[in-house]
Amino acid sequence: MKDLKHLIYFENLLQSANNELIRQAQKDGKICIGYSCENVPEPLLNIGNAFSTRLRAPNTGSTEVGTYYLTNLLCEYSRSLLERAIEGGYNHLDGLITPDGCTMMNRCIENMELLNAVAADKEKFFYDYMEIPMKADENGLKLYVTQCKNHILKPLSENYGIDVSDASIREAVARHNRICELIRAIGEFRKGRTPAITGYEFHVITLCTYVAPKDMLIGKLEETLEELKTREPMKEGEARARVLVVGSEADDEYFIKLIEDSGAYVCADRFCYGSLPGRDPIVLTDDEDALTQICRRYMSRCQCPRMMDTPTMNGRREYVNKLAKEYEADGIIYQQIKFCDPWAYERMLGSHILHEEYDYPVLSVDRPYNIKSSVGQMRTRVQAFVESIEIKKIRGGAD
Amino acid sequence: MAEKLRVGDNELGKLYTDGKVRKRREWRGVSDTLYDYWRWLGTMSVLAKFIVKPRNIKAMFRYRWMANYLASPMMLDRFSQGLRGEYLRIMHEEYDTVFKDIGLLLDKVFRGDKRIGNDKKFSDKVVLVDENEMTAVMMGFKTLKGLSRETISTYVPVLLNQHSMEHYIDVAQLQGLAADVCPMPEAEAGISIDDDAPILGKCAVQCNTTCDGSLLGNGIISRRLINVDGIPVFQLAAPLRHREDDVQDYAAGEIKNAIAFIEEHTGEKWDWDYYFECAKRVNYATECRQEWLEMNRTDYPQVFGGNLALYTETNYMAICGKVVDFEKADRKITELARRAYDKKLKMVPQYRHRAIIWGVQSHYYFDFLVWLVNCWGIVPLTDMLSMVSTRKLVTEDTPENRETAYYDMAWLTENMIMRNRTHGGYKVLLDELWEFVEQFNADMVILWEHQSCKALNGMHGQFEEKAREKGIPLVWVGHDLFDPRIVSRQGVRDQINNFMRTVMNEEPIDPSLENLPDEKSW
Amino acid sequence: MKVIGMIILKVFLVVFALFAVTFTVYFFNLDMKATSLLEPLFIKHYDSMERKYYL
Repeated sequence: MKDLKHLIYFENLLQSANNELIRQAQKDGKICIGYSCENVPEPLLNIGNAFSTRLRAPNTGSTEVGTYYLTNLLCEYSRSLLERAIEGGYNHLDGLITPDGCTMMNRCIENMELLNAVAADKEKFFYDYMEIPMKADENGLKLYVTQCKNHILKPLSENYGIDVSDASIREAVARHNRICELIRAIGEFRKGRTPAITGYEFHVITLCTYVAPKDMLIGKLEETLEELKTREPMKEGEARARVLVVGSEADDEYFIKLIEDSGAYVCADRFCYGSLPGRDPIVLTDDEDALTQICRRYMSRCQCPRMMDTPTMNGRREYVNKLAKEYEADGIIYQQIKFCDPWAYERMLGSHILHEEYDYPVLSVDRPYNIKSSVGQMRTRVQAFVESIEIKKIRGGAD
Repeated sequence: MAEKLRVGDNELGKLYTDGKVRKRREWRGVSDTLYDYWRWLGTMSVLAKFIVKPRNIKAMFRYRWMANYLASPMMLDRFSQGLRGEYLRIMHEEYDTVFKDIGLLLDKVFRGDKRIGNDKKFSDKVVLVDENEMTAVMMGFKTLKGLSRETISTYVPVLLNQHSMEHYIDVAQLQGLAADVCPMPEAEAGISIDDDAPILGKCAVQCNTTCDGSLLGNGIISRRLINVDGIPVFQLAAPLRHREDDVQDYAAGEIKNAIAFIEEHTGEKWDWDYYFECAKRVNYATECRQEWLEMNRTDYPQVFGGNLALYTETNYMAICGKVVDFEKADRKITELARRAYDKKLKMVPQYRHRAIIWGVQSHYYFDFLVWLVNCWGIVPLTDMLSMVSTRKLVTEDTPENRETAYYDMAWLTENMIMRNRTHGGYKVLLDELWEFVEQFNADMVILWEHQSCKALNGMHGQFEEKAREKGIPLVWVGHDLFDPRIVSRQGVRDQINNFMRTVMNEEPIDPSLENLPDEKSW
Repeated sequence: MKVIGMIILKVFLVVFALFAVTFTVYFFNLDMKATSLLEPLFIKHYDSMERKYYL
C-alpha cells in the first residue's frame, strides 16, 4: 500500500512526551494535564482551555534511576515514566492526575511527587489521586462522580479558573466524540479481508489522540479518513493471519509493527491506549447531568482487570469474543507488560477461556515496555503463532 | 562458649538437624520445661480430639495441604525458642488459643464440606470469607459461620511447613500465571485450580484484600465457586485510598451491600445486639494491644516480635470480636505482660538494638522475629502488620450508632492487616514508619522486601533516602513470602548476619544460630 | 489403709509411668520424628490422586 500522507507527521508526534502540538497549545495559553490510566475520564481533562496528555516514555533506554526507586520488580511502564520524569521529560505538564488504578502506577506518580520531579517551578502545578470504583454498580457510580468532582474538576477550577459547569463538560464531550467518531471511522477500514490501513498505522494515529491536544488533530484525521476511502487496500492473503491484540498498557507502536512484520495483521486493539473501547463516543442525554453520565460510561465499559465483580469479569471475555467476531480475527494475542499483576492473572484466565470456551487460537505473551529491547523473542513467538493459525486453516479448523 | 543468656539451653542452634525436625525439645530449666510440656500435652489433646473424628481423617487423605498439620507441634516449638518465664507463658496463651481456633475451623469446614462431612444443614449456615479479609461483616450474624477456606489451606500450612505451598504455586504457573506475582494469592489460586479447596457454604464474600494480586487471584476462585460449586459470591470493594474522607460513604455502602447479600442468600437477619457485643470485644482487644505497644516504647517491652505479630493478625482480622476465647487470652496476656513489666524482665539479658520491623514478613519464616532476639539481641518492638487501626467502635445501640457502625465496619475493612499500610497513599507506609521509629525510640529498621509485593517495592528508594536522611540503619531482608525456593531461610538470616557483622561490626549473642541447616526443615 | 495405700501407689505409678513416657516423647521430640516419617507417605498418596484442573 502507498504510505499515508500524514503518517510521518503522526509518527513524529510520538517521539517525545512533550510533542510539537503540546508546545503549540501551551503557547496559545492552554493548560496541559497529564494522566496515567484509562480510568481517568478523558473528557473532563479537556474542558475549557485544558487539554489532556496521557503519559508515555517514548524511546525509553535505561531505567536505572527509576529502577532504584521502584526496584526491578515493578512494571517497566511505571519505571520508564518515573525515569522520564526525573530526566525532566514531563516538565511541560500543568497538573498530573492518577487514579489508584494499579499499585505500580500509583507508586510511580507518588515517587514523582516525593521527588518533586515534575514541573517543580510551576506554582499552580498539582498532583491529584483518585479512588476509582472496582465494581460497576450504583454505589461505585456515586464514588466515581465524587472523585471526579474532588480530584479533577476542583483542582482545575481552583488552580486554573476553568469553567467546570455542566455546559462546559457537555461541550468537552462533544469535542471528545468528534475524535472518537473519526478514529472509529478510520478503524472501520481494518475490517474485511482487504483492509485499507495497517494495524501499525492505526495504532500510531490512535496513540496521537491520547497524547496530543485533540482539537489540533482533527484536520489531519479528517484528511486521513478521506485518503483511506480511496486508498488501495491490502491484497487478500497479504497478511497471513488477522489477530486481535488484547491486554495491558501498550503505547509502543513498534510492538504492533513487530507483530505485523512477523506475518500477522492487527485487526483490532483491545488494550489500554487502544481504540476499543477507549475511542467509543460518549452519548449524553439531557435528563441527567453530564458528569454522572460520563462516569457511568467509563465505569461500565472499563476493561481493566481491576474491575472485580463477576458480571464485569465475564464481560471482559465476552467483549473480546465480540470484537474477534466483528473484526474477523483468526487468532487472539493476549499480551501483558512484564510484572503487571492484574494482567498476569487476566492473561492466564482470558487466554484459557478464549481458547477453551470460545475456541480461538490464542498466543499468550509478556513483553517489555520497549519492544526494541527484546525483538527476537517476540518475533519468534508471533511467527510460530501465525504458522499455527495457517496450519489450522489448512486442516479446516481442527487443532 | 556462648554467654549464659538464660536458664537451660543456651546454644539453640545445636538443636537443629538437617532434616525436617529438631534433635530434641529445648531444656528451659525445670519449671519452664514442665510448663511447656504441660502445654504440649494440651496440644496433643487438641490433636487427639481432632483425629478421632473419621471425617477429619478422611480430609487428611483428600487434601494435600492437610499433611502440613503433621508439623503443628513443631510450629509452637519454633515460636517458643529461647523463651522463659512470662514470655513463654504469653506465647502459649496466644498460640494455643490460635491453634485451638484453627482446629475448630478445620473441623467446621470438613463438617460442611460436600466431599467430607457433607452436612448440608450446617453448610447452609456458612458464609465463606477470604483469608486476607476483615471479617467485620460477620459481626452481626450470630447464627452464621464465617469460615475461611484459605486460612486452613494456605495461610496456616506455610506457618507449619515452609515448603507447603510450592506444589500449588507450581500448579498456577503451569497454567500460565506469571511467576512474578505474589505467591500467596498465587497459591490460593493454585489450590482452586488443583481441585483442592473444600466445597461448602451458602454464599461467599470476597474482598479486594491487600493487593492487585490478591484481587485478581480471587477472580479465579470466584469463577470456580460460581460455575462449578454453585456458590454465589459477593465481591466487597474496600476503597484503596482509605485515609480520604471522600471514600468513606462508598466504603459504608459496600458494607451495607455485603450484609444485604448475606441476608438474601442465607435468610438470616443482621443482629445488632450481637454486633455491639462483638464491637465491645474488638475495643477491648484494641485497648490491650495499645497497652502492649505502650510498654514496647519503654526499655522493657513485653509483648513483641513473634508474640505480637501473628496473634495480632489473627485476633484483629479473622476473629474481629467474634470469639470469646480471644478476649480471655487478651486479658491473661495483659496480666502476664504487666507482671513482667513490673519486674523489669527482659527476654534475653542483652538488648542490643531496638528495631521496627516494616514491610510484609516472610511467611515461611515467621519465627525469624524470635531468631532476631535470640541470635543478635535485636528487639523487634513492633511490625508493620501489628500497626493497625486503633479507632474505637461505637458500642451502644442507638439509631445514630447503627449508622455509625457501618462506617466502623467499613473502616476496619479498609484497614485490614497489610492493606492499611500498602494502600492509602505513601504517608501510611513511608511517613508513619519514621513516626513509629521516634515513638518507639528505635535505633534500627528492618525492612522486609517481599519480592512480589509491588506496593512495598514501589517505595524502595524512598525508604533508603529517608533512612539516610535520619541516620537510622536500615536493613533490607528480601524474601518471597510463601516460596523459600526463591530465598531460603538461611538466605533471609544471612542478610541480617552480613549486615550485623560488616556494617555494625557486631558478633552474635548466640553464634550457634547464625548458620542453621534448616533448608529441609518444616 | 493398706489397700488405699496400694491404690494410691498404683495410681502414682501409673501417672508416673504416663508422665515418664509422654515426657520422653516430648523431650526427645519423638512425636515430630514419627510424623516426619509419615509425611512422604501422604505426599505419595496425594501425587497418585487424579485431579481435574479447573481454571
